[in-house]
Amino acid sequence: MNRQKSSARFRFTAASMLLACLIFLVPALRDGNPTLFLLAALLPCVMFLCDTVVARMFSLDRMITALILWLCAAGIAAYAPSDPDATLAQALRCGSALIALTAGGIMIRSLSPSLLTSACTAFLGLLLLAGKLLSPAMSLPLTEAALALLLIAFAALLSRQGPVSALVLGAAALVLLLVRGEMTEAVLWSLAVLLLVYAADGRAVVVLPALAVVLLLFFGAFTLLPVQGFPQNPSSFSVLASAGAVGADPLPEGFAWPDSVSIFPLLAGSYGLLLSGMTALLFLPLTLRGTSVAASARTRFHAVLAMGVSLQLALRALAALISVFGFLPLSGLRLPFLTSSLPDLCAQGFIAGLLCGISGRNDADLAEDAHLAMLAK
Amino acid sequence: MFSVSPEIYSVLSLASRWLFAFFALMLLLFALAWHHSDRKERRDRFRNLPGAGTVGELVVLSGSDELPPDTWFPVPREGVLGSLRSCDLVVPCPGVRSQHLDFSWQDGTGLLIRPRIGCEVLVDGIPVSRHGTYADAPLLHGSLLQVGSAVLRLQLFAALSHTSRPFAPQAPVGSPVESGAWTPPVQDPNAAVQPWQIPPDQGYAPAPPPLSPPAAEPLPPAQPPLNRPQAPQRVKRADRWKEDWSE
Repeated sequence: MNRQKSSARFRFTAASMLLACLIFLVPALRDGNPTLFLLAALLPCVMFLCDTVVARMFSLDRMITALILWLCAAGIAAYAPSDPDATLAQALRCGSALIALTAGGIMIRSLSPSLLTSACTAFLGLLLLAGKLLSPAMSLPLTEAALALLLIAFAALLSRQGPVSALVLGAAALVLLLVRGEMTEAVLWSLAVLLLVYAADGRAVVVLPALAVVLLLFFGAFTLLPVQGFPQNPSSFSVLASAGAVGADPLPEGFAWPDSVSIFPLLAGSYGLLLSGMTALLFLPLTLRGTSVAASARTRFHAVLAMGVSLQLALRALAALISVFGFLPLSGLRLPFLTSSLPDLCAQGFIAGLLCGISGRNDADLAEDAHLAMLAK
Repeated sequence: MFSVSPEIYSVLSLASRWLFAFFALMLLLFALAWHHSDRKERRDRFRNLPGAGTVGELVVLSGSDELPPDTWFPVPREGVLGSLRSCDLVVPCPGVRSQHLDFSWQDGTGLLIRPRIGCEVLVDGIPVSRHGTYADAPLLHGSLLQVGSAVLRLQLFAALSHTSRPFAPQAPVGSPVESGAWTPPVQDPNAAVQPWQIPPDQGYAPAPPPLSPPAAEPLPPAQPPLNRPQAPQRVKRADRWKEDWSE
């Protein structure tokens, strides 16, 4: 009798659901917190529903959806041992991110790389970036949302209008980021823009001037603007290592940052370096999947956009890991989906939804080809 | 709600943390395995559908030493034609710039050509400008595309060649048509081979298909006009599919 092998998808989904249940159940047994019991029962069900019904209904990429669901669950679980009351708020924020993910997946189906799309998204993105300069009292962190819109505009311009107009938009966004003093975001944005131009065009006459412009802008920012440098990060590798491989029950000294929106240090303190490290390493298959989606996209717009989203997520995760371990004096960076900032979570969910939607469209195109082939036979 | 004593909880907490780390490792491995199996499945599907994502092929009628005549390229739905190796269609001929033109397929219209700045393109002998009229002169089945010294003919897959514009063969500029040596084909050239008719292991080999001009078929004898209109003959659905998708 042949034994049916379970697929990797089934195993991943089952393991993530089981882990999401246990990771809330164990802290709930300590003092019988009803919120944690509720989450232990509810979260696996939500993960199952999103990974099966929602992903199928809106043609989203199941692997990306499952990975993001687990990252969100890990972010919620980080609060469970130390602050159970904060878990529900984080769960609601993650729910908003999932709604944004679905919206992104739906939107990319009807989004065309027209001049109108480029103009609207570029205007909105630049307006969000310039908003803080126009009204300094505004404290809402909208940088990631602005960069998501600018990425759509950049991909549309690069695929339809050529590299020059796209580079002008990229330089404008870079100037605004530098004027706002967000050096780390500026470095990540310029890296993503240069890599995308290199991937989409590849000509030295385009890439080298673009590199020169970026270097010139950074040089000008450091000389003309007041030196702000990179803000220091409160964490370091020694602090994180004090949590040990599997974490400590009362959080060690240095982990309680009430003003920090980054959840990764809290996750490392609560569950140790092993679980947090494995969770951070899940960005590797996420990036691989994103590049695979970009490589099999039918249109240049979708290819550039999918590669841009993958680059944004990968570069941000890498920079956040480097900064959180204190190897580079960077701060203000959070691992995607492991943050308690609602605008950031929604923006990350939205760009991940774009990736899911492009993947769903690739699958639909391939299924159509297979259907035609079947009819021809 | 239900809770356990602190002693039991401390043991349970320590054991569960190791269990969580093990599960997290499993998640990472399962995710990588999932990605690997999906890639393998996609590769197999592409192997069975070698023409997936393409609309036809461009056949070289006259090229250069690096691009001999009768070479053919699969044409994707969208891309860049130029002499650079990173282009979707690489045409290494004199007069072809590194990125000469953009092309994109539009259902019901044809293959739209958009030259880059300063690049000359002729579609069926008509110059195509970057702004304005490039959408009015799409490449259809059998259309000739001239870039630099290269002359290419587009052969669409049969399923995609049903466009509104009739096929009108044109002589390439500078061809012996002016001297009367070149005669346009009497009937449409054959549509490109359907991608699913290529054996899976063959793929798109550069072997050129025979491109001999089709012989003129004798015209059928003229029928006397009928006095009363005939009702259109109903075609079975299966026959319609046969017409649409078979050669």
